[in-house]
This record gives sequence, C-alpha cells and structure tokens, in this order.
Amino acid sequence: MLVHPCNVDKPTNFQQTVEPDLIARLQRGELDAFETVYRQFERAAWTLALRLTGRPDIAQEVLQDSMLKAFERARQYRGDAPFAAWLRKLVVNEALMQLRHDRLHVIEVFDDALAVDESPAPWMHADAATLERALDRLPDAARAVLWLYHVEGYTHVEIAGQFGRSVSFSKSQLARAIRRLRELLQPQLQMEVTPCTIGSTTTS
Amino acid sequence: MHDRLDHNLMKYDPDEAALAAALRALPASAPTRDAWPDLASRIRRRSVVRKSVWFTLPAAFAAAVALTLAWPHLHQRAASPTPARVAMQTSSPAARPAAPDIGALQASSQQWQAWVQTLDRNGALLDGRQLTQAVALQDRIGLVDLQLSAARNPSTTADLWQRRIALLQQLGLLHLQPYLVATQRPARNDHLISM
Repeated sequence: MLVHPCNVDKPTNFQQTVEPDLIARLQRGELDAFETVYRQFERAAWTLALRLTGRPDIAQEVLQDSMLKAFERARQYRGDAPFAAWLRKLVVNEALMQLRHDRLHVIEVFDDALAVDESPAPWMHADAATLERALDRLPDAARAVLWLYHVEGYTHVEIAGQFGRSVSFSKSQLARAIRRLRELLQPQLQMEVTPCTIGSTTTS
Repeated sequence: MHDRLDHNLMKYDPDEAALAAALRALPASAPTRDAWPDLASRIRRRSVVRKSVWFTLPAAFAAAVALTLAWPHLHQRAASPTPARVAMQTSSPAARPAAPDIGALQASSQQWQAWVQTLDRNGALLDGRQLTQAVALQDRIGLVDLQLSAARNPSTTADLWQRRIALLQQLGLLHLQPYLVATQRPARNDHLISM
C-alpha cells in the first residue's frame, strides 16, 4: 500500500539536525537532496505556518514559498546556527509576510491589554482539539504573537522587529491573546461539565 | 532561543507556563496534500528561466547598448532627410519643402524589425501584462502596414513609416523590460533574514 509522504511517522519539529553532507548537496542545488530536507521538515514547517496564519490555504502558500526560498538561498546559509533554525526563520518570515500582506492591516488596538484576569487557567483542563479551536478563533496578530512568544521562544523585542511594531504592541497582543483564550475556553469547559452535573442531579 | 525561553519560564506566572506547555504539546499536523510535486515543478521552471536569462542577458545588454548608441543616428535618419538631399532641395529654385526620404525610413524600419525579432526569439519570457502590450503593439504595426499599402501621398507614407518605427522601438523596449525588472526588483523580505 502506498503511504502518503505526509503520513509517514517522523519527527515533526525544528529540533532535528541535518547532515552537513546533505546541506552541502543542497547548496550545490541538488534537487534530490532538497527533497530529503523538504520531507524532513514538511510537517514542522506546515504546522508552524498553520499556527501563525490560522488558515490552511495560506499555510500551504507559506510552506511552498518558504521552502522555495530555502532551496534558492541555501548558499546563504553559513552554518552559524543550526540549519533547522535557519529554515524556521524563513517560515516565520514568510508567514508574517503573508499575514501582513493579506490581513494584518486590520490589527486591533486593545485598551484592556494589560487587564489582569484572576480566573483559573482553563487551558490546564482543555484537550488539544478544544485548544486548537480556540487558537483558530483568535485575531491573527494576537495568535501569531502568542505562538512566537510561548512556543517559538521569541522575545518581545524580536516579535516587535518581525511585525515592524513597538515592544508594547507585542506585549499588548500577547495579553489580549491570553485573555481571549480564557474567554473562549471557559464556556467550553463549563459546557463539558454541565451534563455530568445534570446527570448526577437526576439520579439522586 | 530556547535557553532564553527557559529563562523566561522562570519569570512566568504558573498559568502562562501551563499555557506554553499546553501549546507546545499540541500535535503537529500534516498538509492536506503533498506539496512536493508543485514545489519541484516550480523549482525546475525557475531554473530554466534563470538559465535562459543568463544566456540571453549579455545579448540583450549588448542590444540595449547598441540601441543607446545608435538612437540619435537612427532617429535623425528616420526623422529628417539626408544632408545631400537637403542640399539638393534647398538649391532648387522653387525652394520646395524637403521631400521625406522614404527609402531611409524603410531601411530604418527594417533594422528595428530585425532587432525586435532577435529579442523576441532569444529574450526572456514576457509576463501576461507585457504579452498583452506586445500583442497590442503588433496589432498597431499591422494596422500601419495596412495603411501603408493604401497610402499614395509621400508625406502620408513618410508619417506612416515613422509611426511604424516608433511602434517597433516600443516593442523592442518591451522585450527588454524583464531584464530591467530582474535587475531592479529587490527581494521582498531579505531584510528579515539575518542569520
């Protein structure tokens, strides 16, 4: 049975190493070497693009365009950082470029960005699917900042640089994203708990 | 970067640390379709275009230089009669206005047409917009040719030949545009990649 290359079990993050020989072949423009690299990072790049953009069609474009750039600019890679980190940066740049081009002009400005919410963190009890759905419903800039800061480890200064905005922009978007996630997840969790309560009431 | 993340984690409140952990624990997803065939195809196409550009760029550059050097001369030949003819005409007793040199205009038109054809055969591919412009120019040249076949008045004929030359010049410059764009267009996000 043929297995789709996307479904082959393999590591899915940017922590993987790439053999120097493979990088050298890639830098010589060998397409089969590039396919190996592409297959190695396809899911990681796709996942990152999807998390940042929130839309599969845009993520597909980001995947293609960033990988194309990786192939065409492979000679610019000097080995100062791991190849995977270089590639990840290309994906982040391309995703933010797409967002800026398509939708980021409607960035919301929040007055309540630094408001403190004392309610318990609902993501501690949310399953992955629920959390993903909530992420999808965040505004683009807020979701991208949240992901870059909490998952990719970018600092506020770096995020501000990527967006061409101030550090306070990054901080306010992050605060808003967290606040909005709380709002989105709280009702979901309450709904999940409610049937059990009703059930226990009727049986007593 | 992750060292910094771990350092930052120490400053997190527990809720945010839990959020970071929950986000990082989300499963990786896979593209809905295999993008490799499209990507490989794009790479091959771009490679062909790039080779074609490197092959024809010197020729196009030489043509552009030749055009720049020859422009005043050709323009003069196309727009005005030769000095000898002018001398002959001014020395005539009636002092009639100079008759246009149709032969010189035809020769100039042939030179321009040969240059355009060379660029068309060997030059870079035109994009959709440029192709539309090229077709429009060719249509206008065809219309001028039709008018030339019906023209009887020498002055009208000369005007039409001059118009034909001007259109050929525009067509030639259009064929050079891909090279100008390729050398002038900056990368969209080069500044973002600093590694």
